[in-house]
Amino acid sequence: MGDDVTMVNLSHVGLRAGATTLVRDVSLEVAPATWCTIIGPNGAGKTSLVSALAGLRTLSSGHVTIDGQRLDRLNERARARVVAYVAQHPEIPPGMSVHEYVSLGRIAFHGVMRPPSAADRAIVDGVLERLELANFRHRAGTSLSGGERQRMVLARALAQSTKVLVLDEPISGLDVRHQMDLLELLKKEVSECGLTVIATLHDLTLASLFTDRLVLLDHGDVVLDGAAHDVIQSAEMQRSYGVALRVVSIEGGDVVVPVRHVHP
Amino acid sequence: MRMTAPSTSRVVIVGLATVALLGLAVILGLVVGPTPIATGRIVGDAVSHLGWGHSTLTSLQSTIVWQLRAPRMVLGLLAGSMLAVAGGTYQGVFRNPLADPYLLGVAAGAGLGATLAIVNVGVGASVPVWTPWLAFAGAMVAVGATWFIGARGLNSTPATLVLAGVAVSALFTSAQTFLQQQSSTQSIARVYIWLLGSLASANWGSVQIVVPYVAVCVVVCLFAARALDVMSVGDEEARSLGLSVRSVRLLVVGASSLGTAAIVSVVGLIGFVGIIVPHIVRLLVGTSYRRILPISVVFGAAFLVLCDTVARTVMAPSELPLGVVTAVVGAPVFVVILSLRRWGTT
Repeated sequence: MGDDVTMVNLSHVGLRAGATTLVRDVSLEVAPATWCTIIGPNGAGKTSLVSALAGLRTLSSGHVTIDGQRLDRLNERARARVVAYVAQHPEIPPGMSVHEYVSLGRIAFHGVMRPPSAADRAIVDGVLERLELANFRHRAGTSLSGGERQRMVLARALAQSTKVLVLDEPISGLDVRHQMDLLELLKKEVSECGLTVIATLHDLTLASLFTDRLVLLDHGDVVLDGAAHDVIQSAEMQRSYGVALRVVSIEGGDVVVPVRHVHP
Repeated sequence: MRMTAPSTSRVVIVGLATVALLGLAVILGLVVGPTPIATGRIVGDAVSHLGWGHSTLTSLQSTIVWQLRAPRMVLGLLAGSMLAVAGGTYQGVFRNPLADPYLLGVAAGAGLGATLAIVNVGVGASVPVWTPWLAFAGAMVAVGATWFIGARGLNSTPATLVLAGVAVSALFTSAQTFLQQQSSTQSIARVYIWLLGSLASANWGSVQIVVPYVAVCVVVCLFAARALDVMSVGDEEARSLGLSVRSVRLLVVGASSLGTAAIVSVVGLIGFVGIIVPHIVRLLVGTSYRRILPISVVFGAAFLVLCDTVARTVMAPSELPLGVVTAVVGAPVFVVILSLRRWGTT
């Protein structure tokens, strides 16, 4: 795949924590305006890999390139203009308003010594409108419901106006309606705004419903990489998760169901 | 839990009220004392120095106001500002509501330095003149050691730095205790009085010494306020937003420690200002450091001068140690704040 059709490129990426190997020699190329989801059992190395993708971890080998720029050669501020990141458990400072929180996404543009410019404020206002948070702008972020709060965190990341968004378990802790709402929002950003999304998800059904491509990670290795439908149907999935899975097609979408073995 | 962030008008009102409190503290700092001098006469004397009107103060009264009370009041303003802004900054940079300016060993280092001066070198009844310099050196050595131990390596976190501060403080305090145990009762008493903190020895010379440190440190901390707001989302997310967390931490911890060391070396250890002032301000104007720090500078200054006014008048002609007054006022307020706030783990 050439550079002209590659937004994110992981080249032989390795990650270690002391003597433990977290991710081993992972190479991936992600095209612009697509959604790639990394799946895998607990401890597979998903969180380590996405934090490396966001440039937040020192790699033991290889490098990550986004939009033609190697992340390890960028300082924090330049990197934040290239890739935005949503952590699995984002910390919401008590008392900070929704508007203040979302405005943090513009720090890389106006810096910490200057207030936001008119353009920065317009972008924040636009994101608040787009994510239906404008009415909450003066509310404390900690007073929002789980779904609203996660939308606020997404708004902060979108306010960074990057071409690539990396999310670690963005729907954990949300009920099914809010999970669907958030994923629909992300899908819209991909299809309408050309955003490239790389996320980790535990829910295999939702991963296959919303994602263009799935990457199955297990013990730090890429086991499978391909179109969502093909990966979901693969027998490798069951081996990696260590559980029997059935895939049922409902209205054109794959629904993954675990099969319970009842011993007589 | 507050449902909405504080409005701008609320912040403005709190800011104006704090400035008014500062004005009151300045007036009381100049007016209150064993020698009664009316406010109008002091104002008239001040104006006469600018070339308007005539002073009605006697030479003695003028000396009392401008050579005793004024430097003491100004040093109180500087000390209160510095301790309050350093405390607020530490709470932000370590995301720890219990952080105070002495967290990284400034107090223990200054205490050891002062004890060395008083016990081993000092003679006579008074504290040696070089005590502030040894206290300052001790404070900087302690903070330097804390930083060297706790902030090196890729795995260093705010917690490792705080723990290093605890270890260094314990080491310096034990050395200080040993020195005291080896010294005379008179020396122990002088060390003890120094440790409690006081503005009694203030003069324009001591003000001149601390002004550059306090000015630089307060300015650095105020400029870092927006960075502290970003850091409130945690180190990893702050980095993802484009903040160089390590650089900001080094800069503001260095500035706060330097300013605190300068103040402590001159006025001794004055507790509670650095912890309660930012918390009171936070309750009034919310959690943004762009609001907390500037108002803490003003409120801290007013608070310490008012406490000092109490310290030197409540048992006149003798004085209460300033550290005792700030603790007597600060401890109950702190307990109330603790019961009002529902701090999560940080």
